[in-house]
Amino acid sequence: MILRWLAFLLLLCGGALQHAAGQDLLEPEKAFVFSARVAAPDAIEVNYRIAKGYYMYRDKFSFTLEPQALAAGNAQLPPGKVKKDEFFGETQVYRNEVRIILPLRSTEWPERAVLTAVSQGCADVGVCYVPVEQKAELRLASAGSTGGMSLPSSLSGDLPRAGGATKGEDGLIAELFHGEFWLLIVSFFGFGLLLSFTPCVLPMVPILSGIIVGHGQKMTRMHGTLLSLAYVLGMAITYALAGVAAGMSGAMLSATLQNPWVLGAFAAVFVVLALSMFGFYELQLPAVLQSRLAGASSRLHGGHFTGVFAMGVLSALIVGPCVAAPLAGALLYISQSGDGTLGGAALFAMGLGMGAPLLAVGASAGALLPKAGAWMETVKRFFGVMLLAVAIYLVSPVIPVAAQMLAWAALLILTAIYLRVLDPLPHAARGFERLGKGIGVIALIAGIAYVIGALSGGRDVLQPLSGLRGTSASQPESGIVFQRVSSSAELDSAIAAAKGKTVMLDFYADWCVSCKEMERYTFTDPGVQRRMTAMVKLQADVTANSAEHQALLKRFRLFGPPGIVFFDSGGREIQGLRVIGFQPAEKFSAVLDQALSAR
Amino acid sequence: MKTSRRALLYSGVGVMALAAGGMLSWFRRNEEGVPSPTAVTALVGNRNLTDLEGRPRALTDFQGKTLVINFWATWCAPCREEIPLFVRLQKEYAIKNVQFVGISIDQVDKIRDFAKEFGINYPLLIGGLDAVEMSRKVGNKAGVLPFTLLVGRDGRTAISLVGSITEQDMRRRLELLLK
Repeated sequence: MILRWLAFLLLLCGGALQHAAGQDLLEPEKAFVFSARVAAPDAIEVNYRIAKGYYMYRDKFSFTLEPQALAAGNAQLPPGKVKKDEFFGETQVYRNEVRIILPLRSTEWPERAVLTAVSQGCADVGVCYVPVEQKAELRLASAGSTGGMSLPSSLSGDLPRAGGATKGEDGLIAELFHGEFWLLIVSFFGFGLLLSFTPCVLPMVPILSGIIVGHGQKMTRMHGTLLSLAYVLGMAITYALAGVAAGMSGAMLSATLQNPWVLGAFAAVFVVLALSMFGFYELQLPAVLQSRLAGASSRLHGGHFTGVFAMGVLSALIVGPCVAAPLAGALLYISQSGDGTLGGAALFAMGLGMGAPLLAVGASAGALLPKAGAWMETVKRFFGVMLLAVAIYLVSPVIPVAAQMLAWAALLILTAIYLRVLDPLPHAARGFERLGKGIGVIALIAGIAYVIGALSGGRDVLQPLSGLRGTSASQPESGIVFQRVSSSAELDSAIAAAKGKTVMLDFYADWCVSCKEMERYTFTDPGVQRRMTAMVKLQADVTANSAEHQALLKRFRLFGPPGIVFFDSGGREIQGLRVIGFQPAEKFSAVLDQALSAR
Repeated sequence: MKTSRRALLYSGVGVMALAAGGMLSWFRRNEEGVPSPTAVTALVGNRNLTDLEGRPRALTDFQGKTLVINFWATWCAPCREEIPLFVRLQKEYAIKNVQFVGISIDQVDKIRDFAKEFGINYPLLIGGLDAVEMSRKVGNKAGVLPFTLLVGRDGRTAISLVGSITEQDMRRRLELLLK
């Protein structure tokens, strides 16, 4: 019986897959993501991010500037990869990403300029896109003084989203967040849903549902659902505002957020929050405030949309004991991103998740709701573990790897104990108890591996037992030898000594996570190493953050590492080619190629 | 009690999977291979096409025939690769009242040179970017080339194909439409 179902399911899936191949093509604006910015007083940098499996023709680009007088000469197109084509012979194409520099006449500054870019590309599956015209509006007003700083550029033209938020190279960090935008939104929704299953929320849902609808009234299920929706929206919008505030405050803080003390303080807050989830104490809004808000809420009448909406708003403000800690955690996390939009959207999704059970009750008259019970305590503890994990993650850049590994070990082993790994299972154990024990065993083994790893000299969080392999432990991380520079003067003499070679300057600090990722994953790539042999490689280790280090950072308008800057053979910085944040080998190779070809 | 509940669970999951699968395939059928008759009629009635001499033409000129409408351009490598196949099939299927029509998103002189070089034996019309926009409504969601639309004699039933096509696939679909 079951087998037959399985076979049938497989057939269904197979059928669906057969059709899928042709139609999963991206819209051209998504396959070739266009953006443009003023990279220097005399250059516009046009950037195309090309989706995997797609490519663009090098000779099919054309750019026009309005006003025309602004343009100075032809676009500088980096060399592409050669593609052999049966019909066209050898053509040059771009993959992954391409940066094109458009020279400007820096004397002809208008208020703003409009760039029209025409491009054409194809997908490997054997289709081509018709030439796409995209426009970007560039504001040049302050470019003369700020040079390579990123300038905002918005879009015009009839094409939807011709180019995304073009914050410039320094916006790469923000872009990282953008890539995971939907993932984050979905996670926050799930997070909210889980929150609604904590012991102080779930039992309240049916009661709340009754209050919302209003007592003693007959009403249709539709009306009831809409009322619940108004309540949930009121709640979600309030959370969203908190999220925006958190995101924006983080934007102001972001420069200091890499400081070990700040990171440590944040981590401590997370630990405090986590302990409350384990029931050591309760965190909530002061009782006075809570009762006042509750009083306000009880004066509102159920059954009316505005009243119910206001009740939703108030309910978000009455931060209960189960919600307080995770909510604070979420807001802290968002403030790290420094992005108000992201914060608002994420917290809104969380509010919707929290309201989902209420909607379910409204729509199904209670049939869909899981029964309240002891399992809700488990959900609460789960949040505790998550908060502790975030705390470790936060301090990981500033503490030794061995300490990190021991911290992970402690967390994993304690979780395992809480999951009763060491207690025997009763004979008549239910499925969930067995599942819990299974997860506990995995956590225990992983925890033990971390302890062994930390004590045996393993220094890699991702491979805790690598220390047992013996010899490899003491090897330098990338094998790339950098010449150290620690002041502006040293840098100048090193560049002068480079004698016509391309120079790469890498800002590094011990606490910089993406610097270490670059060393481990990118600098070890043979392709990257080959390209780097032709360069003079300088590294400024600014861990000590001395006055000279600060001056050096300021010279390149960097807040701190990570940051990689290139200089051409004449010793001038190659504009628009900065790398900020982690880049995988493939992407970084392309940057190196551009640096090498800029002469 | 316990077994019956389990059976209920399995069959519940089964029914849900069946429903999801059915909906998925129904959606796919609607979006992909089989465009809606109204969209096909609209495309066939489009008056914004010209021939290589610049005279206005429409696909309604070929009414009563089974149409193979190929959206292509000379700058599109995968499009060029399948042209010889179309030339062969036009010759073979002419007797069955099948008419190939190329709609090029391209410049006239390039099309002329190409048509001569490849001996294209079917009419070539020129459509602007709006021709691509129209093709989006009949299954070419991302607006790519090549895109081929097979339209039955009634001018309403159609099969659409995104991307290049193999000879075997093309024959199968033609036969399906001629039946």
